[in-house]
Amino acid sequence: MKELINWVADPIRSFPVVCVLFYFMMKYYRVVGTKKFLAWSLAVIIPVSVWFAADPNFFTIITLPDNIPIIILIILVGFLQWFTFYKAAINDNRLDQGLGPIEGLPENREKVWSWPNLVYTELFMIIAATAFLVVWAIVFKAPLEEPANPTWAPNPAKAPWYFLGLQEMLVYFDPWMAGVVLPGVVVVGLIAVPYIDTNPKGNGYYTVAERPIAMWGFLFGWITLWLYLIMVGTFLRGPNWTFYGPFEYWDFHKVVAEYNINLSEFLWIKWLNSPMPSNMFVREFLGIILSLAYMLVLPPLTAMTSYGKKMIEGVGQIRYYIFIVLLLLMVSLPIKMVLRWLFSLKYIVALPELELNL
Amino acid sequence: MKKLEPGMAYDTNKLNKLFAFLSILFLMIVVWVFLDDYIRPWKAVQIEALKIKQTKLQEKYELADKDINKEKLAELEKELAAARADQAEKRLEINSAEREIFKLQKFLKEETITNGILNSKVSATNFKYEQAQLKHDHNATEEYYSMLTDYKEKFAVSKDRMKTYQQTEKELKRKVFNLRAGVTEAEKEISKIVGTRGLIKKALDSTSMGPIFAIRNAPFVDYLDPTLKIQQVVIESITDDRYFQQVPKVDRCMTCHTFIDQAGYEDQANPHKTHPNLDLMVGRDSPHPMKQTGCTTCHGGEGHRVNDLGSTAHTPQNEEQRKEWVEKYNYHPPHRVAQPMLKLQYTEASCVKCHQGVEFIPGATALNEGRQNIEKYGCYGCHKIPNFENKRKPGPSLEKIASKVSKEFFKNWVWDPKSFNPNAMMPRFFEQSNNNAKDHPEFAKKNVAEVNAIAEFIWDKSKPYRPFKKFESGNAENGKSLVTTVGCMGCHGVDGEEEMSAKIGSYAGPYLSGTGSKVDPDWLVSWLKKPSHYQEDTIMPSFRLTDTEANDIATYLLSLKNEKFEKFEFEPLDKKLRDEMLVTYFSAFDTIDGAKAKLSKMSDRERTLELGYRSVGKYGCYSCHNIDGFEGRGPIGPDLSEEGTKPLTQFGFGIQHDVEHSRDGWINAHLENPRRWDIGIDKPFKDITRMPNFELTERETETMTLAVIANSSEKVPLAGVKRLNADEKIVADGMKVLNKYNCIGCHQVDGERGDILAAYEDDINEGPPRLVGEGHRVQFDWFHYFLDNVYPIRPWLTVRMPSFNLSDEERNAIVSMFQHKAKVKTLVDRSNVVDWAPGERQAALQMWDELACASCHSAGFDSEVEPTAPNLYFARRRLRPSWIKKWLAAPDKILPGTLMPSFWMDGEAASEVLDGNTDRQLDAMVKLMYEFGTEKLPTKETKFWSKQ
Repeated sequence: MKELINWVADPIRSFPVVCVLFYFMMKYYRVVGTKKFLAWSLAVIIPVSVWFAADPNFFTIITLPDNIPIIILIILVGFLQWFTFYKAAINDNRLDQGLGPIEGLPENREKVWSWPNLVYTELFMIIAATAFLVVWAIVFKAPLEEPANPTWAPNPAKAPWYFLGLQEMLVYFDPWMAGVVLPGVVVVGLIAVPYIDTNPKGNGYYTVAERPIAMWGFLFGWITLWLYLIMVGTFLRGPNWTFYGPFEYWDFHKVVAEYNINLSEFLWIKWLNSPMPSNMFVREFLGIILSLAYMLVLPPLTAMTSYGKKMIEGVGQIRYYIFIVLLLLMVSLPIKMVLRWLFSLKYIVALPELELNL
Repeated sequence: MKKLEPGMAYDTNKLNKLFAFLSILFLMIVVWVFLDDYIRPWKAVQIEALKIKQTKLQEKYELADKDINKEKLAELEKELAAARADQAEKRLEINSAEREIFKLQKFLKEETITNGILNSKVSATNFKYEQAQLKHDHNATEEYYSMLTDYKEKFAVSKDRMKTYQQTEKELKRKVFNLRAGVTEAEKEISKIVGTRGLIKKALDSTSMGPIFAIRNAPFVDYLDPTLKIQQVVIESITDDRYFQQVPKVDRCMTCHTFIDQAGYEDQANPHKTHPNLDLMVGRDSPHPMKQTGCTTCHGGEGHRVNDLGSTAHTPQNEEQRKEWVEKYNYHPPHRVAQPMLKLQYTEASCVKCHQGVEFIPGATALNEGRQNIEKYGCYGCHKIPNFENKRKPGPSLEKIASKVSKEFFKNWVWDPKSFNPNAMMPRFFEQSNNNAKDHPEFAKKNVAEVNAIAEFIWDKSKPYRPFKKFESGNAENGKSLVTTVGCMGCHGVDGEEEMSAKIGSYAGPYLSGTGSKVDPDWLVSWLKKPSHYQEDTIMPSFRLTDTEANDIATYLLSLKNEKFEKFEFEPLDKKLRDEMLVTYFSAFDTIDGAKAKLSKMSDRERTLELGYRSVGKYGCYSCHNIDGFEGRGPIGPDLSEEGTKPLTQFGFGIQHDVEHSRDGWINAHLENPRRWDIGIDKPFKDITRMPNFELTERETETMTLAVIANSSEKVPLAGVKRLNADEKIVADGMKVLNKYNCIGCHQVDGERGDILAAYEDDINEGPPRLVGEGHRVQFDWFHYFLDNVYPIRPWLTVRMPSFNLSDEERNAIVSMFQHKAKVKTLVDRSNVVDWAPGERQAALQMWDELACASCHSAGFDSEVEPTAPNLYFARRRLRPSWIKKWLAAPDKILPGTLMPSFWMDGEAASEVLDGNTDRQLDAMVKLMYEFGTEKLPTKETKFWSKQ
């Protein structure tokens, strides 16, 4: 069983599994969002977690002071996600029946004084949060280590936990892409959200049904691309950034057979059986064309579909194109991951001469 | 549910309660923060130490109390009471005098103030006056001048008044003192008796844990002046490598090791124990005081940490201690500390950090033993090891081997030296865990081919040698006794004398076992007669044996046979495997076809020789033996210069999970079986580990590990290391020569070594002379001559000083070493030593007879008596007058156990002559020695050693 879990946990398999689970979660959110489901989930998850933690290797990983925030994060996100679906399911059922959302009921629209209702309770939270942080700091001492030793770097060298998703992306992308372009796009994209998403539905109340694209798109990026990668980076990446199953001992000497090939090498050497052209643009032409087509041809194409037309009608041309470009950039990550796993593809466009690798 | 007020989402009362709860919770957490910061494990240790100190002082106090003479004390107290009564009578007088003093002090104080004011005015006016002078302001000058004169006058008057007051005060005080003298005297007497007890009492009081102690160490206040605090030494001259910066060493070990530098706590358990070697280490008067050397300089570890046993990088000595620590102190090995503390048994490794360039470090017994073992097994042949550079090759030269042993013997020997000679220093390369015939049949067959090829190659290169003597049979019995008496055993162990060999433990030469099954008889006789005839650079000296003696010894050695070994027949060369191996060699820089083509061009003989050549290179035979064609090739083993700090990640542990994951764990395991790392690892024949197995004992591996990890890249700044002065440098260089020729195998030099003396436990005077202050004893021109022209000084000895084949440099190095060791570097002019005072010569001759010198020093004086003391005719050229005098005065102090009587014991005169003056008597005897002595030195041609 543990062998099987170790085997499944490898991103090659666990990423599709997470995607499928994500699909079912979104599709059947009304089932997920019930107290019964929560009770059943807890009934399953708690014994399973105990069984997981009984394994010495897994226990060592989850109890590292560095990794405790991730445990808290998993529990918090899990609960909050369920809570969202719970509220949204009730509202969406009411909306189906033609009733307004619960938050819109008159008794929920009554106004109260900000003092003490808001400010006082905020003070409580400040005290409680400070107390929690202080206790945390006492119980789990700051993992300050020895003076930096250039001849003995920590292995694995891990980023702070909130950057582990980005670090995981480095496995698939050139540092320039994974470290600069994609995080930049994430920040810009998040800033742009309120300007792109002009859908007034869902303001002040929980709903999934009324804003499917926003919910699916954002949650996919958040849960499968961000949190999942953080978890992989935290729990499943060991020395040399090699993958280790949750029950696997982090053997420093573990070696994984990985040899990656550029798309241009596939094209010229494997398919055309000819030497590589000396001109780098000729050499990489297929990758360049594919990349350009992905970014430049796909958006207008999607605009011509009925779905695209409907969206343009709703939000306008500019918002639509910005949205679709951001979406394509986001989706490029799973696409690249899948290509890596399936074909050991290194770079689609490999121009180390220009330090441009895609 | 209660109805809420309008505009309220919550019940205010509930909110207040919640707020109260949170506030209290937060307060408790704040207290927790402070307690967490306040409670440190070392504080408990220091309190424990304080209690120990209390009990110790209490014991001392009681002891001191017992020492006090109670009767005398009672008597003195009675005296005191009487004196006090006497004083009481004079009370009125005393009181009036004291009152006067009291009044006088008012005037004194007043005068002091006046004086001070005037003094400052004088200075200020003086400054103004000088300024006016400078500006040539005539009016001002005059004005200030008159002011200045005025102040000065007043000041002088005041000063004078003051003197009068002081005088009066002094007189009054003396008066009071005299009146009180009786009491003061008695009190002084009492304090003389109870003084020590009082001091101990004071010390005891300072350890009390009363309210003041509590306040000084209370939380919040303890930053002011706590008594429980972190103790530390900062050592500027020794630094810690913080990778980007060298920072002065900070050691806080004494925070818990509270009494480490104080004698008297030897009986305590750690951490309160006194350092076990306080005279050498840590002690205030030792050469390595704590403030100058610190702790981690030698022990290693993280000296600045005080958290607990683990974080400071303490390392348990063994598994047992580790378990004990885990149980007792919740020990965890430190996290990512590159240089954890050295295990206790390896502490001596640190000596090398500061003491470099010397052969042996006094006091570092295990380290010296390890170095000796490295020397013995010749590790430095293949590995670069600091302090072992430029040494001669540890094995014998193979340049003329064909005339010494048979080819068949050679092959069997190379295959398994220990089966021929269990004490062989040559290690085993074959039949190991990664190439034995059982687990790796193919590898073993290839090894056989290699050994065959090596033999062919060596024989091909071997130069012709013709022994210059023929072996004639001799007396084996006599030969054996010569081997044990002449001095062979200072370097060789011998079969038939196993017990003695083990006792001496010599290693400079091979253990003589099965010699009859090994060497050519003619070669052996020639070798014994003159070793340098066969190998020019051999360290084997000539014992100036006669032909009979050489033949007798040879007969004995040839009688030692290993018949089982003689019957071994070495498998013949497998040509297919030979060719296969050659193809692998050739294809390193060529294709397989290219390699095969190259091979096909070679003849059968050429192929064998080629494989032999390659194999000698592969196994590094040339690292230990001189082999023609390998001059100037580098050693094949890794450099061990920084093994002690080599990152642990660079040690390949293979799948040997039972080996302790530490440097010393790896090296120990490696020395025990160097091939173990290959177990369970798939490697081609050409890549398997080649380090041979020396089959060392546990003690040997441990000391050698110590000597290896002593070589570290940690640099101690120049200010911190022991720098050899000019004398020490020369001594260190000379020691290298002494070690090379194994002089210390026979001679004990100032108490060091002298291995063979173990054979002369019954009478140490029968063994090779112990050299104590030799540089002072002998004249260096004589010494230099003697090393090349040995002649007998002690005719009764059977053990012989051999004639070494020393180079001029080496001979000079030895001579200057002794000179500089004894710090006597001058030559004494022999011509004016004998300058008799009137009657002195007569007295000397009288003493000569009285003390019966010639009864032992009979050589040349009394042909009837066998001499049992050195020939005194040689004293003039050989000995220094000042040494003879020192020797005569106290021979036992120089050589304990010597036969020479101490005639002038403790400065007592030995005779009545010369007014019974010891000094003059000694001088006279020195002169007499010089008068007897001959100037002429014996020559090489003189045959001394023949018994006839």
